[in-house]
Parts: sequence; structure tokens; C-alpha cells
Amino acid sequence: MRQRKPAAALIAALMLTLAACSMAPQKKAGTEAAPASLAVRELVGKAESASAAGRHDQASAYLERAIHIAPRNAVLWQNLAVVRYRQRRFEQAESLAMKSNALSAEPALKRRNWALIAAARQARGDDEGAQAAQDHVKQLQQETGD
Amino acid sequence: MAKGKPRKVNRSQRNTRQQPSLGRRRQWLWRGGLAALVVLAGYVGYLDFRITHEFEGNRWAIPARVYARPLELYDGLRISPDNLETELQALDYARRSGAGTPGSYSRRGDTFLIHSRAFQFWDGSEPSRLIRLALDSDRVTDLREPQRDVAPPLVRLDPARIGSIYPAQREDRILVQLKDVPPTLVAGLIAVEDHRFFDHFGISPIAIGRALLADIRAGRVVQGGSTLTQQLVKNFFLSQDRTLWRKANEAMMAVLLELHYDKEEILQAYLNEVYLAQDGGRAIHGFGLASRYYFGKPAENLDLSEQALLIGMVKGPSYYNPRSHPARAKDRRDLVLQEMREQGVINEDQERRASASSLGVVPRGRTAVTNYPAFIDLVKRHLRRDYRYEDLTTEGLRIFTTLEPDVQQTVEKALTSHLDRWGKGMEGAAVMVNVEDGEVSAVVGGRDPRYDGFNRALDARRPIGSLIKPAIYLTALSQPSEYGLGTILEDKPLTVENRAGKQWSPQNYDREYHGKVALWQALAHSYNVPTVRLGLDLGLPAVVDTLVELGGEPPQHVYPSMLLGAVPQSPMQVAQMYETLASGGYRIPLRAVRAVTKSNGDPLKRYPLAVDRAFDDTGVYLITKGMQRVVEQGTAQLLSHWIPGSVHAAGKTGTTDDTRDSWFAGFTGDKLGVVWVGRDHNGRTGLTGATGAMQVWGQTFSHLQLQPLNPVAPESIKQVWVEENTGELAAAGCEGAVELPYVAGYAPDKKAPCIKGRGVLDRAASWVRRLFE
Repeated sequence: MRQRKPAAALIAALMLTLAACSMAPQKKAGTEAAPASLAVRELVGKAESASAAGRHDQASAYLERAIHIAPRNAVLWQNLAVVRYRQRRFEQAESLAMKSNALSAEPALKRRNWALIAAARQARGDDEGAQAAQDHVKQLQQETGD
Repeated sequence: MAKGKPRKVNRSQRNTRQQPSLGRRRQWLWRGGLAALVVLAGYVGYLDFRITHEFEGNRWAIPARVYARPLELYDGLRISPDNLETELQALDYARRSGAGTPGSYSRRGDTFLIHSRAFQFWDGSEPSRLIRLALDSDRVTDLREPQRDVAPPLVRLDPARIGSIYPAQREDRILVQLKDVPPTLVAGLIAVEDHRFFDHFGISPIAIGRALLADIRAGRVVQGGSTLTQQLVKNFFLSQDRTLWRKANEAMMAVLLELHYDKEEILQAYLNEVYLAQDGGRAIHGFGLASRYYFGKPAENLDLSEQALLIGMVKGPSYYNPRSHPARAKDRRDLVLQEMREQGVINEDQERRASASSLGVVPRGRTAVTNYPAFIDLVKRHLRRDYRYEDLTTEGLRIFTTLEPDVQQTVEKALTSHLDRWGKGMEGAAVMVNVEDGEVSAVVGGRDPRYDGFNRALDARRPIGSLIKPAIYLTALSQPSEYGLGTILEDKPLTVENRAGKQWSPQNYDREYHGKVALWQALAHSYNVPTVRLGLDLGLPAVVDTLVELGGEPPQHVYPSMLLGAVPQSPMQVAQMYETLASGGYRIPLRAVRAVTKSNGDPLKRYPLAVDRAFDDTGVYLITKGMQRVVEQGTAQLLSHWIPGSVHAAGKTGTTDDTRDSWFAGFTGDKLGVVWVGRDHNGRTGLTGATGAMQVWGQTFSHLQLQPLNPVAPESIKQVWVEENTGELAAAGCEGAVELPYVAGYAPDKKAPCIKGRGVLDRAASWVRRLFE
């Protein structure tokens, strides 16, 4: 039960994340240029509705197609991490969130990734690791000023 | 029935010696006749059972179909007009003005009109669409559906079929529907093989009578007189021997088949069953596969001449084989055309034109089992983990792979053209991977990419030479408190004990010692001696750990010579190792399969993208920077002949003793390639990594659309000026200083004299002074 509360809160936050990404993935794309954005946005939109409907496999397939088109778009990797979290594949969720972080220098995106990592670690019973990830979240919160 | 156990035979022999009475004999006859009738009825029942059971449902074992990755079209996609056309041709799209039907396209300059085919993917279906797009400096622009006047964000074309997975000695076929086959093909077939097809009930008594007469005259079975139904029965249910018993069976079963099924069903089964060619161990059945095998296109696109050629071959597939006996095949085709005209299937004009055309047979190989045997081999091994061989060869599964036809063709061309230049006996292999998702886009297993045999990309395990060095340097750079890119290494004579009691003195390739060299220089120039010293300082087990973490195979025995690459790996294993570097320290299992569906399109299994963090991002960032220096100013600098410096590719050359193996592994922002060149029996090649494998890599990458490699620096990375020959902290103005990335807090402690107690102006002044001295 101890794990439930933060996880539930996080899922709510992550729902927002997935939705937010579809709005402007190209802005956060790191080194990836924007031209593929229309196609990518289409796929992220479909992934979002599939994931919301619980069809995570489908969502994952859409996101992987998007990653194939824009492989260095950190937001796509974050979204895939969210989908893995919803699939309860927590190790993959963490790895993908890490990967997303490695592709981006944007604090807000990194903060969301660390929040996801914290939740994934907690779900696996790694309280210490979760706390370390939470520290990253706090630090980034201070940096971004929210 | 006739045969019994030996004891019974003895008794019957005894019985024949007795003389039975006439009445008794009649009684026996009567009983025997009745019994025979019962047996016959039973036998007919048995045949009927076979027909209804074997002919229902899955009539044929269908090998799994293997598809390339589908091409996704969207505004901004980078592809050249010619590459797009290559892709469409790989899909068997016909170039036709107006692109009126699905599976066709038209091109005017850089503008394409494409009529896509509908396709059921594992994650949903794509409708058939008519789209228009333009290519502007190799980028797709203005993607539209002109008829609906909408701009679709994304169009996924149907995937190219690249092969099948079928057993070694078996039948292969592509099923066709009667309605999809050109009507003239069906009408022609009936005209030539069985023109009373729609009138008879499975057998044609007139034809049988005629054939029987001929047989009696000859004293053996010489004539068929078979209807299409009988031919189908013979091929489908019976052996090929020409005995009367078989003929009787065939006739009975033909009648039964006609009782159960209508003419259209029988015709469709015939179209798919008929044997039309032999391709090594593979028997080509049905018009669907035969038209691909001989003409490289689907049956629905066959022209009249091609249809007639195939119809003619029914009579004797090897005798009339157009590849081995073109003149004979042409005569036969013309005879078929004549027959078709006489039966009113075509008119005189059609006959004349078709007879005048060439046979149109494509060279063998293009449509053989697969064009990409090495890649299919990888796919099979991948699938064998999850599927029984039997299911792969009989269930008609659809396998969606990651092969990119244009990348595959590019790397094949680069490898074979270089090997041809380097002479006989030279072999090679190559693997291409998409960096971020680990999808294998191409595999070449040897000099002849069509040869379905020894797959060097997967099975040739060869010493990797200096390709191991990034593993050693990564081990060092993962300890930022001890090592940085500017750390000074000793390059002076060294002798160590290698395997039990054997002394070993590693040499540099140029046979010279360079004194003190910076770590990044030692990597860039691939100096052996400082690398061995570094590896020994780190400890061999630590290096082995890194090798394994990267995804490589550990050596069986750990000796110091391992530090110079006495570690055999296959090109695929090297690709896995370098993929971990290219992806920023994440182990991404290389994938050749995205998904598997049933024959009806229902998804069976997906192979999702998976990543596994293997290294701290700073160490991998630093080694990547070091490997970029290899290309900028080290052993791979001649790559600039092939690709622009703005790509910032990272790579490593590898050469083993006496130039027995030539390796190159390198990556850009989006693509990784590994090339090996050598001889099967381990002879000398006279090629280094740079003059051999790297040239193949360079040519390949020069033809591909590349993303530059600009890795995002981890937060803790800071740029630091370091004096090159001392490794001491310097500043921007210092002579002999280079700017290198360092993990914050681990920059060199010791300050170079150039910044000791002096101000910036002094430094600048001294720098200017030295410049003019």
C-alpha cells in the first residue's frame, strides 16, 4: 500500500505528459530537426489515444514508428517510457527514461523523466533508488523555478 | 489384402490341391463378388473421406512470408528520387501513367504519383491510397491525396516481400485467387489442357478411351488423357507413377472431387497446385510463385506472352524451361498462343503481337528464394527462439523484418565492387544497424550476396584487432578520477609474459615508439604499446568486463595479447558492441524482426524496442569523442574522401597480424556499420583496416542519407584546455593545448607552466612571441 499513493499520483502526471508531448514534440527534440514533426505528431496522437484506452502494445508500436522517424527526439523516448510503465515493465520504463534524458538538455523534460524513474524504482521496491531519483526531481525543480 | 501371414499362405497352397465341387465354386464366387463390392464401397468411402478432409481448410503447407520494413512517406523524409523508385520497384509497383490501379506509380521528374496497395500490418491496416508527392533536394514535400484533396501526415506503403522460410526439400507457392488471375490465363489453360473442362464430370470418357487404345497398342501406359481435375487429383493426392491402379484411383477421385466442389474451386486449386519449376531443392508450385520466379512480378500483371509461356510449361516444366531451353520454350509458347486463338480466347492480332515479343524471363537469382539470404538467415535464427521450425514452414506466418532494401543494396554493391578489385579469394561481410532502435537494416554474408551458404556476418568469428581498443579506453574513461582523454600514456618498449612462459613484446604498426602520448592520441592513431600498458594497468578482468557489458563474447583464455584484439568475434557481435557505444551506453539488442502475424493478419508476437543501460553516460560520451578524433585526425582520416567532416562520424579501424583481417566499425548520428574483409582460410590480405574494410564502409555511407553525430554532453561534462604532451591543465592561449571534454571536478590538477602565475595577457603575449620566433 505504501507504494500505491505516489504511483497513482504519478500516473496522473504522466497522463498529462503523454498528452503534452503531442502538442509540440519538435520543440524539445534536442538535436533532431523539426521537419518530421507532422508525421511524428500524428503517431504520438494515435499512441496517446491507444494508451489511454489501455491498448499499450498498440501505443508502443506507434511510438516505435515515431522513433524510427525521429530517433533523437527525447520526448518520444519519454512517452515510450510512460507506456512501459503502464505495461508494468518498470525496468524498461527506467531505462527508456534514462535514454530520454541522455538525448536532451531540457530541465523540464529531465524532471519528468526523473519522476518516472522514481516511480518505476518504487514499484520495484527500490526505495533508496527512488529517493535518489526524487532528489534529482527536486534539484531540477529548483533550477526550473517551479 | 492379397498378402497374408506365411502360415495362411501354406494353407491356401494346400487348398489349391483339392478339387472343389462346381456348386461350391459358384457359392464362393457369389460370396467373393459380394465381398469385393463391400470392399469397393468401403474403398470409395475412404477416397471420399480423403478428398473431403485433405482438400478442406489448409490445403497446403505455406512457408512463412518475410517482408522488408515498410517505407513510410511523410513531408520531410529524406530520400532521393532514384531511391524512391528503387523502393517502388522492390515492391513490384508497375510504372504506369496515371497510376490507375493499386500497385502502380508514375513519375515525372521529381514528382511521383503512387497508388498504394492496401495492407494488413500487425498494428493495423493501411487502405489503398492514391498519393502525390514531390522531392525537393532529396526531401519529400507536398505529400497529398489529390482525389480527396487532403494532405495526409503519413503514408505507410505495403512492405516488399523479401523471401520465405521453407524446408530444405519442399514445395513453395504463393497462393492466388481465381478472380485475381488474368482471365486469358485461365481460359488459355483450359483451351490447351482440357477444353471440355466445363462440360465433363471429372473425367472425359472420350479422352480416356482414346488414351486407353493407345496404351493397349503400346502395351504400357503412354497417354494421359487427363482432365484438369484428374491432374489436380494426381498432383494433390497420388504418386507420380503411371500404373493402371493409380489411373483408376485418379479417375474415381476426380469424379468424387467434382461431386463435392464446383468448377471454380477446382480451377483455383489447380492454379495453386500445378508444378511449374524446380529451384534447387525448392519445387515451384502454382502460377503465383511461378510468375515471380520467371518474370519477377505477381501473376495479376502477366502479359499475354508470359501467360502463354507458363501455360505451355505445365506439360513439362524442365523440358520447356525458358532459362535452359529458350528456343524450345518459345516454340511451345507460340503453339499455346495459336491454340488460344483457335479456341477463341484471343484474336489474331493479339496472337501476332504476343508471338513477336521476347520471352521476358528475368535472370535467375533476382527472384530466387530470397535476394538476401544472409539477412533471412538472421531472421530465422531470431525466430527459432520462439517458433518451432514446423510452424515457420507450414503456417503461412507473416514475418515483418527490419531490412531496408536501399541500405542493403548499397552495402552489397560497395562490398562486392571492392572485393572484385582486391582479387580472387577475398571475402567480406557487413552489418548495418539503425543506431537508436537497434534495427538491423542490412546484412551481407559474403562476396556473393545471393549465395545462401556460409554466413560470415554471423558465423565468421575472427580476431577483431584494434576494434577492441574502445573497450579498453572506455574502461579507463569510466574512472574519471584516474583517466581523462588528455592523460599521458607511455609509448616505450614493453615485454610481458603472454601465455604460459611466452614473452611478448607488442609493437606499434609503424614499428616506432612515440614516447609520451595523450590517451586520445593513442586511440586516434591506434598505438599498440601504450594501449597494452593501459590495459595492463586497468587489469585484464576489467577489460573483459567491459567487453561483455558492451555485448561482446569473452575470450576463452585471458592473455595480454587480448588487448590487441586476439578476441574472435563475428561482425554481428562487433555490431552489437559498437551499438552499445553508438547509442550512448545503452545495450539495445539488435533486432531483425519487428512482428509476426498469422496468415490472416492477426498479430502473434511483437518484438518491442528494449534498452538496457550498460554504462555511465559520461564514459561513453568521452570515448565517442575520442572515436570522432580517429576519423578527424587518426587512422580513419581518409574517410573524408567518402563523407563530409560535418557528419562527425566516430569509428575505429582494425588490422590483425600480417593483415589477415581488415575491420572497420563506425557510426554517425543514425547509422552504424561494421565491415570485415579477409580470407576464409585466414591468409594475408595486404589490407589494413583503413585501406580495406573502411573503404567499403566509406562507399556505403557516402550513398546514404546521414544524420551528423552530435551527442548531447552529459551535464557533468566540461570543456577543459589541456597541454597535449604533458597532460597538464592549460588555457585557451597556451601553445600545444587542446580542448577536451572532462568530467567536472576531474580535470588535471597539475597546471602547465603556461598558466602558472601568469595572467591571460602574458599568456597571449608569450604565445604571440613564440609564433614569431
